[in-house]
Amino acid sequence: MKEQLSAYIDGEFDLDNADHLVANAKSDGEMREAWQTYHLIGDVMRGENVTETPMTDRIMAALEDEPTVLAPNAMKENTKKPAKTPVVWSVAASVAAVFFVGLMLLQDQSLNSQDAMAVEMAENETSDYLAAHQQHAPSSAAYFIQNASFSGKK
Amino acid sequence: MIKSLVISFLLLANLQAVANEEAWQALEKTALAARHLNYRGIFVYHDGAKMRSVQINHMFTHGREMTRSLVLDGKPREVYSEDGEVVIYNAKQNRVVVAKRRGENMFPAILPSNLDNLRATYSADFEEEELIAGRLATVINLKPNDVLRYGYRIWADKEVGLLLKMALSNADKKVLQEIGFTQVEVMEMYANTVHAPKLDANKEYVMERPLDVRHVSDWVVGNLPPGFNKVDQLRFTPPGKQHVVNQMIYSDGIASVSLFVEEIAKGRKAHMGHKSMGSTNLCANVVDGYQVTVVGEVPHKTVRQIAGSVRLQKRSNQLK
Repeated sequence: MKEQLSAYIDGEFDLDNADHLVANAKSDGEMREAWQTYHLIGDVMRGENVTETPMTDRIMAALEDEPTVLAPNAMKENTKKPAKTPVVWSVAASVAAVFFVGLMLLQDQSLNSQDAMAVEMAENETSDYLAAHQQHAPSSAAYFIQNASFSGKK
Repeated sequence: MIKSLVISFLLLANLQAVANEEAWQALEKTALAARHLNYRGIFVYHDGAKMRSVQINHMFTHGREMTRSLVLDGKPREVYSEDGEVVIYNAKQNRVVVAKRRGENMFPAILPSNLDNLRATYSADFEEEELIAGRLATVINLKPNDVLRYGYRIWADKEVGLLLKMALSNADKKVLQEIGFTQVEVMEMYANTVHAPKLDANKEYVMERPLDVRHVSDWVVGNLPPGFNKVDQLRFTPPGKQHVVNQMIYSDGIASVSLFVEEIAKGRKAHMGHKSMGSTNLCANVVDGYQVTVVGEVPHKTVRQIAGSVRLQKRSNQLK
């Protein structure tokens, strides 16, 4: 990290990638320093992304794959290998059927979808959406309860 | 006799209206207090399955707001925010993954600064005062006017207005989620050193892949519940995947719902169904060959209503 910081200070990184730092440097006060440092790290790292270093991807892939568990039921689901249960297969089949019937049966499709939406989904089908919701939508505690690995899913 | 009955009835109704208005004013004070006070403490979140303790330091000076939060349980994590911009540090072995977020409605700043939207869809009442984290709290019940959202019970510090605790409950009055201080201190000022980040020179800091925030307006929700407005929209490619996911975020001022729309590529399995996880509900649907998924801290009925009314709005130049 030290090298990255010094590289930034030496002007080896584009200032466009560090606009926050410049803006913050203009305001005074000791308390600004902490915020500046945080931004510095992020902006320097974004400089790395610009040069297409596959570092982030590799790290993301290496991060621990831990599903989000929000409820006791979800925990139970997870241990049951839900993807193999007949219920889920029947949903898959009905969805496939709906999907290939075509536009002529749109009316029927919406009827079928009302039934299909009543089927309980498995944890592995929903965890990615839950994580993305918690990360991007404003909510009371999302930042604290989400997985440490934002992009941990492989 | 009848006349005096009518008068006393009108008087009671009027008193009730005044009480409700006072509850709203208390909520306004609470919304501001979380942003404009200096405080530090430890709060606990739990939803029946998961519990997290978070240490928070909040300061407001020269019109600027800074918060530093340390997650004390689970994986090491530090959340740092200034004026709604959030930087998250996820420590992982010898690396720290840095992520930037838009940050609003984070505890204790759960209430929006403008309550107009909430006034349209909830009603507010006072309840008996209680102690939270050793401080006397005014208790306000925020009841939804329909069945499409949860109820919120709010404990606000009687003296300074700060939100001390919030509980979310469903129509059966079952508490689904609670978040509140176990220890809190409100101060005039405190040393800036509290906000100095803990940086470790031996660790590598890695910026999370930035999100593509592009305008997507081809998808509309035909039957969006009253009070909900679109507050954000973005596109991203899930890690390890090839396809792009559109995410649209709706909020009624306190509850938020995400709508995900993505193409169902060849070889991908489409999903239909629902899932309930504590206060969070999810509903998946297939619309015009697209996978539609709705997730939010709202009742099942609400995500289902949204997922069932998503439509592709074809622009005139796209009609073939």
